[in-house]
Amino acid sequence: MTNYHFGRGRARLAPYLLLLPGFLFYVIIMLGPSVATSVYSFTDASGIKGAAVHWVGLQNYREFLFMGQASLDNYAALVRTLIFCFCVTTIQFTLGLVLALLVNQRLRGVNIFRTIFFMPVILGAVIQGLIWSLFLYPLGGPLASLLGMFGIHSEFLGGQPAEAMAWVIVVQIWANLGTTMMIFIAGLQTIPGELYEVVRIDGANGWQTFKNVTWPLLTSSVNTNLLLNIIGSLQAWQLFLVLLGYRNGTQVLGYLIFAQGFGQTSGSVTSAFRQGYAASASIVLFFLVLIIGLPTQYLLRRREERILG
Amino acid sequence: MSTIATSKAPDVSSRPTSRRISWGRIGAYALLLVFAVIYIGPLLMLVITSFKTLPEFMKSATALPTTINVRNFVEAWNKANFLRYMTNTLIYTVSATAIYVVTAVLVAFPISRGYVKGAGILLTLYVIALFLPVALIPQFQLMLSLGLYNNPIGYIMLFLVNPIGVVILVNYIKTLPLELDEAAAMDGCGYFRFVISIIFPLISPAIATIAVLHAIGIWNELILPTIYLTSKDYYPITRGMIVFQGVYGSNWPTLAAAVLIMTLPMLVLFLVLQRYIVSGLTSGAVKG
Repeated sequence: MTNYHFGRGRARLAPYLLLLPGFLFYVIIMLGPSVATSVYSFTDASGIKGAAVHWVGLQNYREFLFMGQASLDNYAALVRTLIFCFCVTTIQFTLGLVLALLVNQRLRGVNIFRTIFFMPVILGAVIQGLIWSLFLYPLGGPLASLLGMFGIHSEFLGGQPAEAMAWVIVVQIWANLGTTMMIFIAGLQTIPGELYEVVRIDGANGWQTFKNVTWPLLTSSVNTNLLLNIIGSLQAWQLFLVLLGYRNGTQVLGYLIFAQGFGQTSGSVTSAFRQGYAASASIVLFFLVLIIGLPTQYLLRRREERILG
Repeated sequence: MSTIATSKAPDVSSRPTSRRISWGRIGAYALLLVFAVIYIGPLLMLVITSFKTLPEFMKSATALPTTINVRNFVEAWNKANFLRYMTNTLIYTVSATAIYVVTAVLVAFPISRGYVKGAGILLTLYVIALFLPVALIPQFQLMLSLGLYNNPIGYIMLFLVNPIGVVILVNYIKTLPLELDEAAAMDGCGYFRFVISIIFPLISPAIATIAVLHAIGIWNELILPTIYLTSKDYYPITRGMIVFQGVYGSNWPTLAAAVLIMTLPMLVLFLVLQRYIVSGLTSGAVKG
């Protein structure tokens, strides 16, 4: 504890009292409910006001994991979540790095490109989704016409589940690539220009420069981006809601939690409010995030220590 | 560029080494242009569609409109009750962000300075938020039992928290010298007055960053209004837009006009506040 300068006795309480509102908000609105999710996952809470809540033990988990067709659907959603996460992370990471390298050069007009690529980030899922629903309009929309010239016909978002999901991945990357790019740019700008001068004098080509200077010195941006992309895409599902609705064969875990817990489905399928069950699904997703996130962070930290000392 | 004396300039590529055509440069531009098309294309389609009539759109979705037709905008504005939804969104965003920013600074300052016991643990509680399970279900049960379901006050309460902002503030405040506190205390300045009148102005860039970051989140929020607000009178613009889509889903010209009405204020704000938005959305990078 550092020395406190603003008085003793009762005056010493000032920082505590003033901290309290903000901290209580955090505990009541986020931290508390977040922890309580595990408690609710052992109950049959329904979300109807005044309805009794019973302790059901592990039943929600049993149903989620080992109950015939419904469980198989859950596993499918889990696998879809992983596929979504993998595709979004790898593509967004790679493209973000490429774009950052491109717009970080001293080229005329790069600032405009930077602005253009970053812009969708602020639009939010509703606008992003609607813009792409129109762009992917299957009856003679821009992309349909373009692909039509090559004799390819696609139903896009209305097509087979795998195809629809591929387009959600495209929109997800389109929407968030700007953030990844900006984090890389921030990292690139911390690399001193003299280093490039030195390796250039040594006669290194572009690839060698990237491999020996840029990539190692970009380590902390690499780690930040990987972690944010992995965790973000494991939990992301809003674009599924706007672009596809609750459609069989396309649900991911986040959407499943929402649909089970609030019965809010924008398609024809409506389920009851099963909040205990949804809470157990939330815990499954939480473990997924931990199982993937923590080792990743550990490995990235170790790599960072090895490279940057 | 006229003298060789500037050869120590940090950026090498800025000095034209030769007058030959640089293929690397052309390739870079080509790639950037391809991406720019992917980014601008969908927006362009939106603008084009919003000026077309429905028959025109049915005939050819991609053709340019024959006349500049603003009827879609008038229709969207009148039918969608946008003024109401936008006012609601504005009220939610401004009030929640204001309360959040003040309370967040009052949390971050003593943590950063170690003026409260367990500051390190408190900070950890904010840092781990990224990994926490979804809070939706218990949060809903809580709001329901407090009678704050379908209640604007309750809805605003949901947005008084944003852990990453606190972490950003803590890191920023660490850069302010401790002597500041000592000198102010010596002059008889109280704690609260010190934070409000001295710390606040000093950390205004960080405040702008977390305010913008938080406000964008509220403005774009779709899930929470879907869960908590059932009266149309309380709908924010996002929810209103989804309802409008439900009714006008097949009338793309009108829908496109509505989306454009909703997009324009965001785009203008984006261009004005770009610096803060960028630092807000990328400052996950500063976490320790």
